[in-house]
Amino acid sequence: MSARYGMVIDLDRCTGCGSCMVACAAENNVPALPQATTRTGLTPMLVRRVSNERDGAERREVFIPILCMHCERETPCVSVCPQQAVEVDKATGIVMQMPQRCLGCRYCMTACAYHARYFNWRDPAWPAGMEKSLNPAVAVRMRGVVEKCNFCHGRLHAAKEKAAAASKREIDPADYVPACVEACPTGAIRFGNLADTGDPVSHEARSPYAFRLLARLGTEPKVYYKSKEAWVRQLAESVSGRETEASREMKHV
Amino acid sequence: MKVSRRDLLVWSAGAAAGLMVTPVPWKVLDDVSIWSQNWPWIPQPARGPVDVKQSACTLCPKGCGLRVRVAGGFLVGVAGVASHPVTRGALCPLAFGAHQLNWHPQRLRTVLHRRSVSTRNAAQMAFTKACSEGPVVVIDGYPGRAASQVLESFAKNRRGEYRVVLSAETRALAPYERWTGVPAALLGYDVENAGTIVSFGAPLLDGWGAPGHFARLWAERAAGTEDPQLRLIQVEPTLSRTASRAWQWVPVRNGSEAVLAAGIAGVLLEEHLVSARGPKPTLSLTAAGEQTGLGIDAIRGLARTIVARPPVVAIANDDSPEVAALNVVLGAVGARGGIVRRSRENKSYLAADTPISSARAVVIDSSVPWDFAPKTDAEVFRFAAWDGGSGSADWLLPAPGFLEEATDVPAAPELAVQSFALAPALTKAQHEVRSAALFLSGIDSALPTAEEIIHARCQQIFQSRVGMLCSREQTPVSRFAASQKLEEQLWAGAVWVGEPVGPPNLRCELKEWPTPSTSTRGEGWSSSWTAPVLPPLASKLVEESGLRQRAEGRLA
Repeated sequence: MSARYGMVIDLDRCTGCGSCMVACAAENNVPALPQATTRTGLTPMLVRRVSNERDGAERREVFIPILCMHCERETPCVSVCPQQAVEVDKATGIVMQMPQRCLGCRYCMTACAYHARYFNWRDPAWPAGMEKSLNPAVAVRMRGVVEKCNFCHGRLHAAKEKAAAASKREIDPADYVPACVEACPTGAIRFGNLADTGDPVSHEARSPYAFRLLARLGTEPKVYYKSKEAWVRQLAESVSGRETEASREMKHV
Repeated sequence: MKVSRRDLLVWSAGAAAGLMVTPVPWKVLDDVSIWSQNWPWIPQPARGPVDVKQSACTLCPKGCGLRVRVAGGFLVGVAGVASHPVTRGALCPLAFGAHQLNWHPQRLRTVLHRRSVSTRNAAQMAFTKACSEGPVVVIDGYPGRAASQVLESFAKNRRGEYRVVLSAETRALAPYERWTGVPAALLGYDVENAGTIVSFGAPLLDGWGAPGHFARLWAERAAGTEDPQLRLIQVEPTLSRTASRAWQWVPVRNGSEAVLAAGIAGVLLEEHLVSARGPKPTLSLTAAGEQTGLGIDAIRGLARTIVARPPVVAIANDDSPEVAALNVVLGAVGARGGIVRRSRENKSYLAADTPISSARAVVIDSSVPWDFAPKTDAEVFRFAAWDGGSGSADWLLPAPGFLEEATDVPAAPELAVQSFALAPALTKAQHEVRSAALFLSGIDSALPTAEEIIHARCQQIFQSRVGMLCSREQTPVSRFAASQKLEEQLWAGAVWVGEPVGPPNLRCELKEWPTPSTSTRGEGWSSSWTAPVLPPLASKLVEESGLRQRAEGRLA
């Protein structure tokens, strides 16, 4: 049975600690870019801070982790790629990026409504010797290609290998947990199979408090957010609507 | 046929144009592109069988549980341990990049004497000479370890002093030490049983205590509900990370947290909202309302809100007698859900920040935060794994880095119960390193070794028959047949957790309201680990996301 892997991120639980960002970079051998800015950084998982624009004691802020939304329908990055370097994996629903095919045209970056794609301008570089601390299960990032979150595909491979070694067709869900999910200290990021109605994540995605960013585009993102605060849920549709401070911040996402 | 120059040019142009419509140039371009990414200087990950080991984080005195991946003898990944009784799988963001720290460009690889390269023998000779001329002061940043005992024994044998740089969490408990006589290092917060926590600037969700400990508790009992089981009230001038997630944020004027604590205590006593009958604050409610910028009604309302869901405990960010006095008024000292004593031992420490007068040499352990600089004329021997670049030590000696040395890990400073774990050395340093304890053992051979002390501590736990050993399963210590088995499990990543000290474990009465002090201190980087360097991947949190601001003097 094909899976539809997705996430539900409970924004009421996110403290903006950034553990997900560092764990993601460490897992996927993403180099540190100390001279980079929020525009030029390489952050497949990026936590944004957004406020309700009020002042004083009424001001509220929320932290929104932004990553590839793994759009299911008419995936914009897939449709614009001239190299077929991006595809939606039919078995998992994961939007796959194949760096070997990518020629670096960056059409997909333009097409992505969430600005969740990054371009590798340079060869990856670490201080002398630090390459020995890289994750051996994942290759170093290639120069001249577009990068994005792939739900820690290396971990999916490892889970598949483990299942195959045990002569099983299906992986154990406990064996496939992306690094950001594992790292979240408050359990705000949850990962699971949205196609499995028995999966708690699938259940949470149907919560009345769950929403998706820019759902009106009809691309069916598989990353859901959840909040009991109404102003947070409204952010989802204000991305290119009203010119509010929050929407302006979200536009930079 | 005669080939003219024109024919040659036409043929060449035609061949070039024809080549462009074949796949050859594109294939060559592609191959060159791929080939150029496999040049020898392109970094490649370490190869070798991957082992997963359990250990404990030694970057700061919080001792979070670590699951470390090791490939070919090198650390290649860090994650939390879900079965850890305190942190329950959570870590601070810095820990996820900690395995890269051993390769940091600012790693101290040679002995430096006043910033010039020197040798360990020269340092040892200079230290021995200084020791023969006068007393020695040894400064530790992580008390309670086996290595700390070695440092303390050395200082005592030389009629010197053993001093400690306490964490912000322990410093916040210092007023209770002054009032009860129980050392601050043996006190903790029973946050598991609290109904309301009033934080006066303490970054509870941002590196306070063992980072995962409170974050998990908050996520389970407070996050995302309008009427949570645990009410977190954050008193802070700015909308910090903790304030933004708190049940209520109280934006006071900068530096007026202590005044607000006095104002709340005044209302509690005046309106008989608490059973305490202690001395009232000298500050009037009107003055408190003006100084905090909140007004009288807001302070009255806050006081009523605080006591609505007991037990209540107030937590300061640093040594704040007013916040401590508020806890006395609230009856939180020595009570369930308040400030509790976690051990019946009675060991106090001399604070490191008092001026050093008569010492001839000062030894600073690598656990001491880099921003600590002793006020002394003595010769300073500082052990450090990383060179922060602006230290004032005469001698800098390379110390073991992240998980390069086996050590024991005592309880985090804010815990309500005792705990004990062991962190084995999971990788080897690539150059000669020596900890301060080992260095001093080389000078005084009568000192016990850290291994002997750890062994004795394991035997002590075994003989006490108290507490649980937590790994994937929880096993009472009383079920162990031999101390050796218990020690083996501790080296394999298990954690011993003691039992709460039964009541009455702490009594505190307020004779007079403390004199007004300055506000609780805040820190730029809210994690209290003030190391000379940060993991390079901290750039994701700082420059690449703007999520945090880098504190001055800390480099990545």
